[in-house]
Amino acid sequence: MHKPVDLHIIPRVEDEKSCIKTAQMLKSAGYRAVALTLPTGLLKEHVRSLRNRFADSGIEMFARIDISCANRQELLRLLRRFRNVYDVVAVKCVNHALGLVAARDRRVDIIFFDPLKRNVWFDHSIANVSRAALELNLSTLFSESILLTKPMKEIDIATQHMVRVVLSSGCTSPMMIRTPEQLSAIGMILGLNERQARDGVSAIPWSIVEQNVERRSKEYVEEGVRVVKKRAS
Amino acid sequence: MRRYFLIRIYSENLTALSGEQFIDALLSSVRKYFGEIGVSTIAPKLLRFDPHRSEAIVACQKSREKELQAAVALIREIAGSSTAALTVRISGTIKSLVT
Repeated sequence: MHKPVDLHIIPRVEDEKSCIKTAQMLKSAGYRAVALTLPTGLLKEHVRSLRNRFADSGIEMFARIDISCANRQELLRLLRRFRNVYDVVAVKCVNHALGLVAARDRRVDIIFFDPLKRNVWFDHSIANVSRAALELNLSTLFSESILLTKPMKEIDIATQHMVRVVLSSGCTSPMMIRTPEQLSAIGMILGLNERQARDGVSAIPWSIVEQNVERRSKEYVEEGVRVVKKRAS
Repeated sequence: MRRYFLIRIYSENLTALSGEQFIDALLSSVRKYFGEIGVSTIAPKLLRFDPHRSEAIVACQKSREKELQAAVALIREIAGSSTAALTVRISGTIKSLVT
């Protein structure tokens, strides 16, 4: 089995205690890697110290950005600007048109929907063109007004179109962290089979992260092309 | 046939958590997500609770372990305090859970 990865943690980056507690909770929950949603203006030194703090607890940290905008032009501008800065790029689809653009764009790793917004969902037209993985956040299921029919329907459509499903906690506090087995159990309740649910917390997020780390390496030229040896000058 | 869960409970403000408080929260989570029929088919039962280590052993029907695991994960708060209940181990016997 691949290493368990939680691809969506939203830490309070200015609160050091909370970050340390989050790292400890992730370790005790059994995670080996995590993607933190970081604000765009965060200094490199701060990111480095966060990375070290998580590494001290035995957790590999990756930087993630959640893009939320209203139109196509804005999304494309943000993708141009931030794709090379972050390890994981996720788009929160606030309307159907944006969902279509985000799902089709190869720079987007993950798309996710707000389950409380009833007029926007992962439908067949988005699933049909989707290169990105669909993310399901546990934190959205905590809400009192949530109906499970929407995430169940989205998972059903994703499996029909063979879109990868990532299960994340989406937590904003350490108390919202759950074990990878618990996340995969929720995935199974919502309609994934055992293998898909297990891959949703391990193999799929890990492949996303690995692919992006390789893309950002100096040797990478384009898909399928990388520098093996430099010519001696 | 039963399955046994070792569950560790982390809480932000709650200092003394009791077994009753935990099983109440678990039953209401099962009821919220799986309904009354879910409660009777999953049949969760608190067997042991260690208040010092905040650990509980809960039994359920063998075929319903995924449902119980999801219900445990979906516990958000106990007695007004935000809580994380993490499944440490699942086993077919209590003996192998505690050793």
